[in-house]
Amino acid sequence: MIFLTVGTLFPFDRLVRAIDEAFDKGLIDEELFAQIGESSYKPRNFESVASLAKGLFDERLKQASGVIGHAGVGTIAIAIDNNKPLLVMPRLRKHNEHVNDHQVAIARKFSELGHILVADDVEDLPDGIRRLKNFVPKERIAAPSTVADRIRRFLNSLRD
Amino acid sequence: MVRSAENLRICLVASAGGHTTQLLKLADSWSGHETFCITTTEVVKVKLQKYGKVYTVGECNREHPLRVIRVATKCISVITRERPDVVISTGAAVGCITCFWGWLSGAKVVWLDSITNVDRISLSGRMVRYIADVFLVQWPELAKKYSNVEYLGAVI
Repeated sequence: MIFLTVGTLFPFDRLVRAIDEAFDKGLIDEELFAQIGESSYKPRNFESVASLAKGLFDERLKQASGVIGHAGVGTIAIAIDNNKPLLVMPRLRKHNEHVNDHQVAIARKFSELGHILVADDVEDLPDGIRRLKNFVPKERIAAPSTVADRIRRFLNSLRD
Repeated sequence: MVRSAENLRICLVASAGGHTTQLLKLADSWSGHETFCITTTEVVKVKLQKYGKVYTVGECNREHPLRVIRVATKCISVITRERPDVVISTGAAVGCITCFWGWLSGAKVVWLDSITNVDRISLSGRMVRYIADVFLVQWPELAKKYSNVEYLGAVI
């Protein structure tokens, strides 16, 4: 199963529609389930819900062989934490999909580092979908505990 | 302002979405202290609930000045009521507003700039940098580019 998620904050019809059309073109032969948030486009080829409670979201994610999503940090983080192959298409300001183009920058950086795949636009999706099947994400070494420890030490210094 | 030999009162503030994801990666830092949260939408309330009372103040950005004023008023009233010793934020605009008001009320300020800011620090971050006691970035290049910012690694 492929899990499609576009976050729950703003619509992302461009991606939901493109994935629906990918089914029409025979580019996806797997079952797909989607969390489409505020998107108004209703897909014909797969089951979708507006939003999933955290437990249900995690369940779908764990079942998925691959994830397709917007390039939100939450989506990227959860795919990496669960070692799931992820293909992202960044939301663009010019289509009113976000307030700025920060998703382009983070998508590019993480794909350069080998952690995710990126399709800059709808035209790049077919190639991305093909590559997603065999994509093995490069392991990411993050340091949340080092960063948290820095803050903890600062907080403790205030108590002395 | 800082209550010595007591637990600190800490305001955790982040916009919905990735900002909240990154804030939650820091949860080990504030355990044992008293916390409350400020966020932008009801959707993320459930993720923050275990860290005390959650205030939802609404979304805003620089393109909607009237909304900024409305949200700022709410942040100010929360800070005035709760009087935190420290504000910890991962952005964005709501974090910036809260950090400034907290700072004016005597609170210490901790800022983690979002990982999405690859080439330059966020607009909010560039402002908060002047008042932050701890300012962390998530790409090593940024720590070279700006003074008074630290890079210790990314949280994602």
